[in-house]
Parts: sequence; structure tokens; C-alpha cells
Amino acid sequence: MSEAVEAAGQVDSVRETLQDAVRLSKRIGDEDVAKGDVILEVRDLEVNFWVNGEWFTAAEHIDYDLRAGEVLAIVGESGSGKTQSSMSLIGLLPPNGRATGSAKLKGIELIGLSGRELREIRGNEIAVIFQEPMTALNPVYTVGFQIAETLRTHYVMAPADAKRRALQLMDLVEIPDPADSYDKFPHQLSGGQRQRIMIAQSLACDPKMLIADEPTTALDVTVQAEILKLMRELRERVDAAIILITHDMGVVADMADRIIVMKDGQVVEHGSAEEIFHNPQHPYTQALLAAVPHLGTALSDDNPALKVSLVARDEEPVPLAPGDPGATPALLMEDVAIDYPGQGRRKPFRAAHHINLRVDPGRVMGLVGESGSGKTTIGRAAVALLPVAAGKISVAGRDITHAKHEDLLPFRRDVGIVFQDPGSSLNPRLPVGESIGEPLFLHEKLRGKELSNRVEDLLDSVELPRSMRNRYPHELSGGQRQRIGIARALALEPKLLIADEPTSALDVSVQARVLQLFYDLQERYGFACLFISHDLAVVEMLSSQIAVMKDGRLVEVGPTPEIINNPRHPYTQRLLAAVPVPDPGKQRKRRELRDAIIAQQGIS
Amino acid sequence: MTAAQNSSPRPDDLSRGDNAIEAKEVEGLSQGQIVLRRFLRHKGAMSGLAVLLFVAGFACSAMGIGPIPGWWRFQDPNATHPMQNNGQPTLTLPEWLGGPGFTWGDHPFGQDNIGCDNFAQVMAGVKTSLLVMVVLGCTALIVGVTIGALAGYFRGWLDLCLMRVTDLFIVLPVIVVGSVLGKLLSQMGTKFDWPQDVVTAIKYNMPLILGIALGLILWPPMARLVRGEFLTLREREFVDSARVAGASHLRIIAKHILPNAVGVIIVNITLLMSEAVVLETALSFLGFGISYPNVSLGNLISTNQGAFATRPWLFWWPGLFIILIALCVNFIGDGLRDAFDPRTKRIPSVREMKKAKKAEIAAISQGEVA
Amino acid sequence: MLRFLARRFALALGTLFVLSVLVHLMVDTALDPLEDLRLSTSPNKATLIANRVAMLKLDQPWIVRYWDWFTQFIQGNPGIAWKSQQKVTDLMSGAIQTSVSLILMATVIALILGVLVGIVSALRQYTALDYSITFVSFVLYSLPIFWVAVLLKQFLAIGLNDYLADPEVNWVLVGVLSAISGLFWAGALGGDRNRKLLILGLATLVSFGTLALILTSGWLDKPSIGIVGIIVLGAASAVTVTLVFAGLANKRALYSALATAGLGVVLYYPLLYLFAFIPMNWGWILGLFVVAIGCGLGIGWLFGGSDRGVSMRGGAIVAIFVSVLIFVDRVMQVYPAYYNSNTIHQRPIATIGVETPNLGGDFWVQQLDRFTHVLLPTIALVLISFASYTRYQRGSMLEVLSQDYIRTARAKGLPERVVIVRHALRNALMPLAAIIPVDLVTLIGGAVITETIFGWSGMGKLFIDSLKNAEISPVMAYVMLTGTVAMLAALAADFLYALLDPRIKVAA
Repeated sequence: MSEAVEAAGQVDSVRETLQDAVRLSKRIGDEDVAKGDVILEVRDLEVNFWVNGEWFTAAEHIDYDLRAGEVLAIVGESGSGKTQSSMSLIGLLPPNGRATGSAKLKGIELIGLSGRELREIRGNEIAVIFQEPMTALNPVYTVGFQIAETLRTHYVMAPADAKRRALQLMDLVEIPDPADSYDKFPHQLSGGQRQRIMIAQSLACDPKMLIADEPTTALDVTVQAEILKLMRELRERVDAAIILITHDMGVVADMADRIIVMKDGQVVEHGSAEEIFHNPQHPYTQALLAAVPHLGTALSDDNPALKVSLVARDEEPVPLAPGDPGATPALLMEDVAIDYPGQGRRKPFRAAHHINLRVDPGRVMGLVGESGSGKTTIGRAAVALLPVAAGKISVAGRDITHAKHEDLLPFRRDVGIVFQDPGSSLNPRLPVGESIGEPLFLHEKLRGKELSNRVEDLLDSVELPRSMRNRYPHELSGGQRQRIGIARALALEPKLLIADEPTSALDVSVQARVLQLFYDLQERYGFACLFISHDLAVVEMLSSQIAVMKDGRLVEVGPTPEIINNPRHPYTQRLLAAVPVPDPGKQRKRRELRDAIIAQQGIS
Repeated sequence: MTAAQNSSPRPDDLSRGDNAIEAKEVEGLSQGQIVLRRFLRHKGAMSGLAVLLFVAGFACSAMGIGPIPGWWRFQDPNATHPMQNNGQPTLTLPEWLGGPGFTWGDHPFGQDNIGCDNFAQVMAGVKTSLLVMVVLGCTALIVGVTIGALAGYFRGWLDLCLMRVTDLFIVLPVIVVGSVLGKLLSQMGTKFDWPQDVVTAIKYNMPLILGIALGLILWPPMARLVRGEFLTLREREFVDSARVAGASHLRIIAKHILPNAVGVIIVNITLLMSEAVVLETALSFLGFGISYPNVSLGNLISTNQGAFATRPWLFWWPGLFIILIALCVNFIGDGLRDAFDPRTKRIPSVREMKKAKKAEIAAISQGEVA
Repeated sequence: MLRFLARRFALALGTLFVLSVLVHLMVDTALDPLEDLRLSTSPNKATLIANRVAMLKLDQPWIVRYWDWFTQFIQGNPGIAWKSQQKVTDLMSGAIQTSVSLILMATVIALILGVLVGIVSALRQYTALDYSITFVSFVLYSLPIFWVAVLLKQFLAIGLNDYLADPEVNWVLVGVLSAISGLFWAGALGGDRNRKLLILGLATLVSFGTLALILTSGWLDKPSIGIVGIIVLGAASAVTVTLVFAGLANKRALYSALATAGLGVVLYYPLLYLFAFIPMNWGWILGLFVVAIGCGLGIGWLFGGSDRGVSMRGGAIVAIFVSVLIFVDRVMQVYPAYYNSNTIHQRPIATIGVETPNLGGDFWVQQLDRFTHVLLPTIALVLISFASYTRYQRGSMLEVLSQDYIRTARAKGLPERVVIVRHALRNALMPLAAIIPVDLVTLIGGAVITETIFGWSGMGKLFIDSLKNAEISPVMAYVMLTGTVAMLAALAADFLYALLDPRIKVAA
């Protein structure tokens, strides 16, 4: 029996059990909705927030129809009003928000419904999948209870029946061993499984419509691929309409039938997925699509030393790659192990094992891995923020393995680091000019006029106005803060720069500009760089070599074109296959490849 | 004050959407200015501050401060005066409050059973309370912040010690430790046969000494908080960037971490100070705090509690001032907490929003008419 | 788990040891046992001093005295109070019971009231009610406990006793109290303007009517709840408990709660016979209480259908409530006799001591006597610690209400009651476990002062008196006892927290 038939059987059995049960909440409209019927009509929807005595418009003039069985993606960058406009449909705005206009679900006006009527719709007719399953599930109740609770809210149902149905749903979303997982608490499940629970919970009452608010943003790319696969399979079987809220064009290409593009609270473009991706009309959509990094645009590598990828086999770590014989490597790690120091009673934990890595002067090495793979640990050890447990690290020929805080001062001149979170990497109490100038102040003992001249030069080089030096971090946007972070890291013209996910917290269009800047600066200053990222497409744009990491070990190191086009380690293959491409046609092909790999390697 | 469109022009990319809401609050201000602005907007805290300043100014000017004499005619709170009208307060209410007209009289707050002027005593007590409060606050601040900062930043054995010491301090009520300490301070001189002038000096400077001593036992909660704050802040990326930039430990602590912990410190020192006022008066009430020749509000209540039935004013006035001081400091602390807490956003009440909606509708219809 | 307990225990013992060293050193330095002799004019002053120095080993280094105390203490002998030559164990035996009952009662009442008011305040954030609660809790927070205690003793107690002797109703006060109650309920129940006005009117009227009835009908001279009161209050509690924990839609839960209340009513007269024929003691009362809870659980089980847990919980809570009502009713019945007893002199609100000496009377009279004595000190303690619980619970509830999972619960279509009670409250109550031990220690400190003012011969008063008398042994006994209680409370809190929060694993 094929998988699909079996799964379809599951859906039917869930439905049947629901049909036996007595409803507590009434259904809207006809019981059965045919695919293609319009179930939601949104007209001139507007969302406002009351802040300091003024109404601010978060979204306005929103019109769309949603048909049963279709996926409508609402795409936009942060603050575009995409989430709030969808939340207003079921009255889940914050207390200072209000919605006006009209949204009709099967002819019933949703805007302005009373509490009781809304409650009968929530979870029953319209269900929500939230972004962060860790915080969106109540930590003190078992996941099974939380699914059963939804059922028992809308149906008269004994606990045992609700549990049976919840188990069916958990089976449907492919939770391994549902009976065992039923009694687990959210923190005992992995991120992907939590999101599956969230989906099971949203499907519990067989809703007409699902709102998926960034359902995969908090997940790793391989887990994201699995969740997307699940959601696509589910949409074939349950004929609920889905509103998919996301900023990720790859996810959109993977799922959407129609797309709404939002910017600053307004719909700028609305069309089918084909139209938007192949023939975008609005300049913002065009820019957005252009800004998304594509896989498969690898640079040709000119490094003669390393032509093929080095792959880890069984217990053997990846050996040290041969380098440019004439040059002192900017970063050299030999059989390095790094412990994350324990705190209090927590034992230290080894985050990286047997790392052999070489970055030659002037080259960019991409370091790719999923969360928890230890890639950040390596970056921090390279700038002596973490002690080395075994092996040897040298930077520009200087051994820093066991150097003390005081001895490191000259070494600090040679390295810089750019952090991931631009909100946290600048001291909120210092004007940004002072943050940029700090390395100059400490190393070159620059003061007064001289210092401010240099700070202004640095601001010029990261393309920010000079006047910004007196601003405080909270006044700047994420992209501006990250530019400041780069300027500070480059202040001493280091030989080695560690870039730790410098763009992952930024919107796509901002990311594109920051990456371009980074590329230009690297050309101009010629520093060596270890570029850490979870996003293969970003790494591919910048680096000439890529190292892939998994569970604290390097699994493959090689020239960028080799890694991208000819991955040899199974994990690299899976990672590559999981990256969604912002093009529906290509993505379909990749998906088939990916499903084949997942099927072959099993779900992790 | 109607729709967003009417507000002042802003850079294009920030004019709409959620971003605009965020940016509107903080335009062109440093962190300190934002905190100050929010504090100044806090009605409770501002009233508390005003009343506290008034009480402090009133008491200090009445009884003099240091060598400067005050304006009240009886500068010695312990001097006895001939009994007037059985010690009844001579303060009378103004006419609009139903009294015979406002007058001070000789003894506005009345006299106790041996004829001391209650007004002078209460004002001297207020001065004592404020002095103890400030001295205690400063001592606990200096010790607590120093130890907490070092423990949180360097961790290791210092941190372990600090945690064990704070364990010690949370198992005994402060009033118990304070009583023993108060007894110790008042007894030291005679027990160890110290020279007479030292004994007298201790006696006359008891508020100062008691404030320091109590500060030395009340610092651990402060240190614990600062430590916690340092533990989180030292993991923040801006501290790492300072370290990569080559900043020394001292520079990181003083320039990067401490200014970011200042909110927690200020808020808690304020709350500690309100606790201090109540603690000092309670100790004095029990007889382990401040006693003759110094005047404490707690001591006044203690000596006069038996006379409640005959001279209730001797109980009401000191109590009123203790509560007033503690309440004001509490309100200031609450205002500071709100001001420093980045999460506090002014959420409008339902009524406010309805009003705004009405105003908006009115504006629109007016526009249509025009 | 065992390793966790053992480790925590060892840590607590170590802390207690260090505490004993430090406090002993401090107290030893602070106390001056020769103070009275120094001022003495007796001709044999020198001999007296020499004798006392020898007796208390004052000529030897402190460590010798500490060691003596320590070796005796760990053998279970806390020493003697040298002035009165009484054994510390004798001094403490009555005092411990007195203090524990006071502190326990104050903690429980303050906790329940504080948590409830804190939750209401959080749910009605930024309303007039919230601001009023905040203001009142700030005022209470700033009240010095000794001032409150003196005020209660000299003002409230005397005023109440005077009123009881010569009742003359102050209608303005009654009106103001009724209006305050009306405002509270209008704010707490909320809703739109009309609903609020309606609640305001109703609650004011009901309060005014109840107060007027109590004050004018002579109820105060002969208070009782009676069978009617138990029927009305029992039914009300059944409905309220069901409303909060199960929702009125859950008929089975409602019926089981009502049935439990009904059983209480049916048993009212049989119980009175039982109380009349068998002399009661606490063993009996507790036994009956357990039986009552068992009945509540049983009724819930019988009615519960497939969803028994909820009904059983409701039944048990109603059973507790009705049992307390019946108990209180029985105690009230002895009031006229108590009031007219010749040791009371018709001034029933006591201001001094733990109990009326030479009162006599049966179990019920003694309970009433204890109640009149414990009333004022408890009010004093509750007023102080209630404020901190309110503030804390309000903050914790607001924090929880802003969490993502509350939004999820709403998005699932759960009724607001379930969102609050099941999802928010459970999470908002957990941090209380951390604050209770801290507050308990504060309360023990407050008890030192209340006991002194109300003349309760409890531990706190023993501590103060011994400190004044320069007797180190009782002081050390007090310190060690308090320290142990605080340690155990902290341990229990940690344990409770680990039980309540599945995220916390008890790490060995």
C-alpha cells in the first residue's frame, strides 16, 4: 500500500470520528466546501495601533479572496503588517490594536464579532500555526493534552475519545511513536516535532482555513524542508485554505498558489505564483526577488591548492587542507577541540571535535551548519573568546592556543569579528561613533580630532552618513547597526575577520545590500575571512571555499563549486537539497530530488 | 491628534507600519534621556518626589542642618517646655477645611507628657530617618555593587562565596540581625571601657553609625541582583566585541557593563531605602536603634504608645511622617522601574481609545462638511 | 532525587553552622552580662562580678564559650537562661506553638488574599481598580508594622469593644464601606458601562443590606450562620467553584458540587448532635474534615462520568468550604456565653496575651478565645505581607499573559475563563514558590514586633526579652530555630517548584 493512500485513510478516519461527536461550536455555512469555492473575502481591511495618543496604520486597503484548498502567501519584510492583518481576522490583535473594513468567512463578517462568536470560529473554522513552537505551546502541559484540549473545546467528547483522536492527528503529522509522545512536554521534543504538534493541533477540528505565521522560520533548513513537505502533503488531503505568512521567497516558491506582496502596510502586488516569480510588475517585488540569494551561482575558484573536496569518513575527521605554500595562513586550526565552559553545576560540554581548518590570507572560507552544529564556537575560539581544549590555533602565524588575556593585546590587532545580532552587538549606552572608535582608542591610542577623523572615514567606507556617529544604536535600523558592526571590526584593518551570521537577522533586501558591501570591502581591504552562516546561498555568494559542519565536526571541506555542484558527504547533499529556491519551477524539481534523498536517508 | 497622516514628517522608510511605532518613541534621544522622559511622565513617581523633597526641605529647614540653624523656635527636641492646654496640638485647620483658621501656635503637634515640643521631635526624627536612609543606601550601594559586579564578571570562588553569604542573610529576618547589631553598637563603648569621648561620639553619631552598620548587612540582595545582571550582560555580544577590541577587564566592567546595569541598581537601591526607613524606625521602636539624645520616629512612637488614649497626636504625627517618607520613596522606585523597563509601553485604556475613535469620526465628518 | 536532597541538606547544615558561628560571635560581643553590676553600689561588687565572670566564663576567649554552647546544642541541649535559671527548652516549648500558629495563619491568609487580589489587578490592568489596588498595596507596603499593631490595639480593639458594649451604628461609615465594596465588584467583574453601573448598584445595595442586617438585627450579640446560611453559602460556593474550575456548561461538575453542598446541609443537624454528645478535640475535627473531603471526592467520582477529575476537584473544594462553615457556625454558638463570661468582662476583642487565663469552658469556647486573641496580631501581619504578594502576583500574571502560549490558547478558541485559569494561572503561580520562603522570613521578623506589642509569649518576644536581659542561650536557640525553618521552607519551595514545573529536572 502506497504511503499516500494510507495517509488519506488516516485523514478520513479522523474526519469520521469527528462527525460522530456533538459540536459545541456551530459551523458556519455548508458542512462541505468544494475546492475552489471562495471561503474568505477580505475587503478594505485596515489595522491600526494606538500609540501615544495617535493611531498608526499597520496595514490598510487590503483586499483578497481565499479559495478552499489554495495556499495564499502573504510576503513582506518585517513591519510590513502581514502578520497583524491576518491576526485581525480572528480578533487576536494586541489590546491597542483595532481592525476596520470587512472580512467575510462564508458570508459571516469576522471584523467586529463578539467574544463568544469569535471563540467558536477560532480553532474550529480558522486555526493558526505560530512561528515559534517552543514559546507557542504551554510549557506545563503535555503536548497530547494541548491537542485534546482543542478538540474538547469545540466538541462534547470524553477524554479518552479526545486522546484517541489526538493520537490519530499526531500520526497524521508523522510524529514517531505518538502514544509515547502524547505524554511528553514541549521541551522534551525537538523543534521540528513541536511544530508538527502545532500543526496537529491546528488541524484538530478540521478547520476551513489555516493561518500559518512564519511556520518554518525558527527551524533549521533540513527540518524546514520536512515541515514544508508535510504541509504540502496535508494540503492535498485536507481541503482547508492556507494563508502562509512568510518573508522567505524560497518557502513561497515551494508552497504558494497565489501571492500577495506587502510593503509598509500596503499590498503592492497580488497575483499567481507564476506571475509574481516570472513577471513581477511592481518595482518593490522586483527588488525583493533580485535580493534573494540564489543557489548555484558559484564563483570559479582560483585556488590551486585545493581542487577536490575533503570528506570525513566514519571516525576519521576531515584532514587539514593544503594551502598556498608561500603564505602564512591567516587562520590555522590543527586538530582543535573546544569546550563550552560549564557554569555552576552544569558540566562543560564539548562543542567542537578534531577541527582541521585553514584560511589563507585574502580568502573567504564559508562555514556552514545548522543550529547547534558548533560553527559559532569555532568562530569565537578563533578570536580567543573561548579557550581551546586540545589542538592548536594560530592566527597569522601567532599561536594563541593558551594565551592569557593580557598577552592577547597585540593579537587583537589582527582580528575582528562581526556578530549575528546587530541589536545586541553594540553597547546601547554608547553613541555608535564611540563603539567604532574603541579599537582605535585602545590600540593606536588615538584621541580627539584624529580619532574622529578615522571614525568618519570608517563610516564613509560602510556607506553611512558621518553624522550618524553621534546616534545611539536603538535609533538605527538593523541594517545600519550591522554596518556599524562591520566598521568597528575593520577599524584596525585586521588580517582575519570572523563574520558570524552577519546577515541572518536582516530582511532580504537589507541583507543583499550588506552582503554587497561586505564583498566590496573584502576586495578593497583584502582580509581573510571565516564567514559563518546557516544559509548556503549566502555563503556561496561570498566564499571561495566552504566547510560543512554537523554535530561539532567538520564533514566536508572543499572549493565552493565542488561543494555546491558535487556534494560528496550525505549530510552536505541533504543540506543542499533542503535549501528552497525562489523559483516555483526549479523548486519543484529540487523538491523531487530532496524527497528522494530524505526517503533514502530517513528522517533525522 | 487624529490620524497618523497628520503627524510630523518622518524619513520615508519609517513612516508606516510597525517600524514607525517603534521609532516614534525614541527619535533622537539617548537611553538616559528616554528613561528620564518616561520617569518625568510617571505621575505617581513625580508626586512622590515632590512630596519627599518638600518633607525633607521642611524638616531640614525647620531644625537646621549642620551648623546652619533652623527657623523653628525650639531647636532642641529634648528640651521641656511648660505644658500648654494639656499638651494639645496648637495647629488649627484653615477655614476652608472646617477649622477656625490656620495657625501654628507654640506647639503645633502638641507636647508629650513631660512637655517636650512634639513638632521639634518629629522634625528631628524625620531628619534622622532621612539620614539613616541615605547613609544606609550609599553603604549598601557601594558594597553591593562592587561585590556583585566582581562576582558576576569573574565568577569563580568569589561568586561561590557571595552566593553562600547571601544564603546566610536570607535565613534570618533583618529585624533580628538588626536588633543584635543595634545592641552591639549601643553597648560597645561601655562594655569594652572605651574612653569617655569616644563613647559620647558614638552616642551622638548613632544615626550615621547605625546607617553604615545596617548597610553592611543589607547589601547581599543588592549584590545578588547586580551579579545576576552582570552574568547576563557579560554574555551579550557587545561585551564580546569590546573584549575582541582589546578592552581591559576594568574597562569592560566600568564602561560597558555597569552603565547597562544601572537601571536595576537604581531601582533596587530606592526600594532598599524605603525598607531602610521602616527598619530603622522599627529597631528604634524595639529599643535597639536610635535613642536619646538622638530622636527617631520609631522611638517616639514607642515611648508614647501608652499615652495613646490621652495624647493620640503623639502617635499620629510620627507615624504619618514614617509612612509619608516610605510611600514617597516606594512611588519613586516604582516610577524608576517603569522608566528603566524597556518592555513597559503605555497601553491605552479602552476609554481612551474610544474617545480617540470619536474624535477621529468627528474630524472626518468635519472634513466632509468643509 | 535522593542525591539532590542530600546535597541540599548538607548545604543547609553548613549554612546553619556558619550562621551559628557568626551570630554567636556577634551576640556574645553585643551582650554585656555585667551591665547591672557595673552600676551597682553594693559593697561586694567585686565578688559579684568575679562570680558572674566565672559562671559565664567571661574571662575566657569567645571560642571557648562558643564551643561549650555548640557541643551542648548538638546534643539537643540549648542551655539555660542564666538570669532566670530556666531551661531554654522550657521557655521555648509554649512559645513555639504560639508563634507557629500566628505565623502560619497570617501566611495562609495573606497568600490567598494577596494572590486573588493580584490576579484581579492584573486582569484589569490600567483600570481605576488596578490603580487603586496598586496605591493601597503601596500604602500597606510602607506601613511600619509596629505602628499598625499599636493602632489596631489602641484604636480598633478598643473601638470595637466599646461598640459591642453600646451599639450605635455609624451609618456614614456603613454607607462608605458599601460603596467601596460596590466599586470593587464593579471594577473586578468589568464589562461595559451599563453592566458596570448595574454591578455597582447591586453590589452596593447587597453590601449595605447585609451590613445593616448584621448591625441592627442583634446578630452581633448572638452570631450564627444557621441552616439557612449554610444552604445559601454552600450553593453559592458550589456555583462559583464550578464556574471557575469547570465552567457552568459542565453539568456533571455543577451537579457534583451542588450535591456535595447538599450533603453538608443534610449533615448539619446530625453533626450538631455529634458535637453535643462527644467532647471534641483537634483529632476529631481533623478526622471529620478528612471524611468531608473524601465525601466531596466520592460525589465527584459518582457524578463525573468520563471526565471525573474536574468534578472530584470541585466536590472536594466545596466540601472544604462547607465543613469550615459548619465549624465556624458551631464556634459562633458559644459566643453569647463567652461574651458574658466573668473573665471577659464583655470586652471580647483581646489586646494582650495568647489566651484568657482561667477561662475554662469546652473545646468550642477555647477555640473562640483563641480566635479573639489571634485576630489583631494576624490582621497586623496580614496587612503587611498581603501587599507584597499582591504586587508579586500581579507582575507574574502580567508576564504570563503576554506570553505566546496565551495567544495560542486564545487562537484555539478556548473560553477566556480557561485561558486564564488553566493556561495563565498555572504558570503564574509557579514563581510564588520562590517568594514564599523569603516572605515567610519577613513575616517571622514581623512577628517579633507584633508579639512584643500584643504581649504574646512567642518566640519573637522571647528573643527580644533575652536580648535585653543579656541572655545568650535563648537568643541562639531562637536564631537556630528560625534559620532551620527558613532553610526547610526554601528546600520545600525548591522541591515544589520542581514538581510543578516539568521543565525543571531535579539535578543531582
